[in-house]
Amino acid sequence: MGNPILSDDGVGFRIVEELENRYDEREVTVIATDLAGLSLLDLILGYDKVIIIDSIQTGEGKVGQVYRLDAEDFTTTRHAASPHDVNLATALELGKRLGLSVPREIVIIAIEVQDVTTFGESCTPKVERAIPAAVKMVARELAGWGRHKDTGLGDQA
Amino acid sequence: MKRITIDPITRLEGHGKIELFLDDDGNVANAYLQIPELRGFEKFCEGRPVEELPRITPRICGVCPSAHHMASTKATDAVYHVNPPPAAKKLRELYYCAHMCHSHIAHFYALAAPDFVLGPTADPAERNILGVVARVGLEIGGEVIKHRAYAQEIQAVIGGKATHSVCGLPGGMSRAITEEERAVFEEKAKSMVEFAKFSLKLFDDVVLANKGYVDLITGDIYTMQSYYMGMVDANNKVNFYDGNIRVVDPEGKEVAKFKPADYLDYVAEHTEPWSYLKFPFLKKVGWKGFVEGKESGVYRVAPLARLNVADGMATPIAQEAYERMYQTLGGKPVHATLAMHWARLVELMYAAERLLELSQDKEVADPNVRTIPTATPDEGVGVVEAPRGTLFHHYQTDERGIVKKVNLIVATGNNHAAICMSIKKAAQGLIKAGQVVSEGLLNMVEMAFRAYDPCMACATHTLPGQMPLEVIIRDHQGNVLQTLSRNLS
Repeated sequence: MGNPILSDDGVGFRIVEELENRYDEREVTVIATDLAGLSLLDLILGYDKVIIIDSIQTGEGKVGQVYRLDAEDFTTTRHAASPHDVNLATALELGKRLGLSVPREIVIIAIEVQDVTTFGESCTPKVERAIPAAVKMVARELAGWGRHKDTGLGDQA
Repeated sequence: MKRITIDPITRLEGHGKIELFLDDDGNVANAYLQIPELRGFEKFCEGRPVEELPRITPRICGVCPSAHHMASTKATDAVYHVNPPPAAKKLRELYYCAHMCHSHIAHFYALAAPDFVLGPTADPAERNILGVVARVGLEIGGEVIKHRAYAQEIQAVIGGKATHSVCGLPGGMSRAITEEERAVFEEKAKSMVEFAKFSLKLFDDVVLANKGYVDLITGDIYTMQSYYMGMVDANNKVNFYDGNIRVVDPEGKEVAKFKPADYLDYVAEHTEPWSYLKFPFLKKVGWKGFVEGKESGVYRVAPLARLNVADGMATPIAQEAYERMYQTLGGKPVHATLAMHWARLVELMYAAERLLELSQDKEVADPNVRTIPTATPDEGVGVVEAPRGTLFHHYQTDERGIVKKVNLIVATGNNHAAICMSIKKAAQGLIKAGQVVSEGLLNMVEMAFRAYDPCMACATHTLPGQMPLEVIIRDHQGNVLQTLSRNLS
C-alpha cells in the first residue's frame, strides 16, 4: 500500500517491485495499490493469507526500522474508528461480520518513514536503505507459510 | 478577547485540526479548520508530457482517483484542441457514473448513516458502519458491499486495472468495450437502480420518519445561506461528466453560467495566514470574509449545491426524489447543510439510472473511441463534478505538450470557506458558557464538517483516504481545555 508519488509513502511499492516476479502467480498475488478503506477489503477477499506492506510513522521509532504487526495491533484504532473514515481494522471487521471470505491471517510489514509530505518518486536515504531488509522479511514470511518457493531471483531469506 | 496567532507550521502533525477558541464568557468566538500541506505538486508535474497527468493526478487521492482521472483527461483534450468521438464520451460518462455510485454508496453507509441510524451522541465505538449493519441487518451490509463491488468492477473493466485507471487519453479512450462487456454492465446497472431506490427508502424510514432528525437537519445551527455552483447539461439538469458551470445566488437565481475554460473570470482564491489551503470565492461578488449571504462571494459545491443550481434531474426516478426533497424542505434553494446527505442519495439515484441508460445504448460499445490530436498543444481546462463537488484541472504546456504549469481547484477546496463557517456556526450553537462539552457534542460539531464529505486528501493533496482529525477547544488565553481525536494512531 502507499502512494508512489509521495516520497517515502511509496516504500511499499518499491518493496513489492522487488517481489513481483519471484513467485508462482497461482499461489501468490502481488498487488500495489493506493486505494484505502473499503476498497482495500475488496482486494484481499478470497485469499487465505495477506501480507500488507506499508509506510508508518509511529512518532517514536527510528527511520528505517521495519516492524512486523498483526491486525490485532490495530484494534485500538478500530474502537476509536469514527464515522470519518473506514480504516483497515473496521473494514476487516465488517467483512467478517458479513460472512465474506476475509483472509484468516493478516500480517503487516511496516517501515518507519521520514517524509510523506513532499511529492517525489524516490524514498529518503534511510528508508531506501531499509528496503532490502523489508523484502527479506516478506520473503521469510512467505517461506514460513510453507508452500511458496522463492524462484531465487533475489537474496535468499 | 485575546488575539491568538496560530502558527500552522509548528502545530500540525500530519492530521487535520479543528480549533475552537472560547471567549472570556466561555462562548465560541472562533473556529478554524487546518489541514497539513503537501509540498511540491505543481513542481512535480512540470516537465512531464501532459498525457501522463491523467495517470499521475489520480494518485492525489485513494478515495476519488477516477474523478481526477476524468478531469485530467478532459483537460488534455482541451490542451490538444481535440474532440473525442461520441462513443468515447458515452464510455467515459458510463465509467464516471459508476464512480459516483461507488463513492456515494460508501459515503452514505459508512460515513453518514452512523449518525442517523445510531444517533449523533451514541458511543463512538458503535457509531460507525459496524453499528449501522448491526442495527439495519447483515443483509443490507452485504448489499452495500455488493453494489460497491459492481461499480468498482465496471470501472476496472473500462479503466484497465482494478487499482488504477489508465484509459483516458487526449481525444478519447485507450480501448473500446465489447458487446459482452456492455451486457454485463447493463445487468449490474439494473441492480444498482434497485439499490439506489432502496437507499432512498431507508433514508425515509430512518431519518425522515424521525422528527428529531428532521429538526436537526432543518435547524439553525446547520443552516448557511450561500451561493451554489454545479455543472449542468444543455437543459440545466445535473450532469457529472460534462456541461457548463452554473452559479445561483442564495435566493436561487442564476447569476452565472460559464464554460470550463473561462473559470478564472469567475473564481478567484483568497489566502489566510492560518491555512495552507486557499479559499475560492466568486470574483464578481468579492471576498467579504467568512460571512453568509448575497453580498459575500462564498459559494458551495457538491450534492446539495448541484441540486440547488439545476432545474431538475435528467432521469425520472431521481426527478421524483428531487421534487420530494424540495417539497419537504420548503422549496429551492435549500440551505440546510445536513440535507447534503439526502441530496447525495438523489444523485445516487440519477447516477444509477444514467448508468443503466448508457449501458443500454449500443453506441457505448462502438469500436471508434479515439480521435488522434493534430493541433499544437498549449493550454486547457477540464472540469467534472466529483462526488464532493466541482473539480477543475488547468494545464499549460509548451508546443511539444510538456507541462509548464498546473493549477487544480479541487472539490473540497471550493467548499473550504463554507466548511469553516459551518463548523463555527454549529460550535457556537452547541457549546455555550458553563457547559460540559461531551464527546457527543463535539461529534455534532464534526457533523457540520462531515456533511460536506470532505476529502482533504485532494484539498491539500494529502494522504490518500485517511483523514485523521483532532478537535481542540481552547480558552480565551489559548490554553487547551479539551481534545477529541479520531484515527490518530
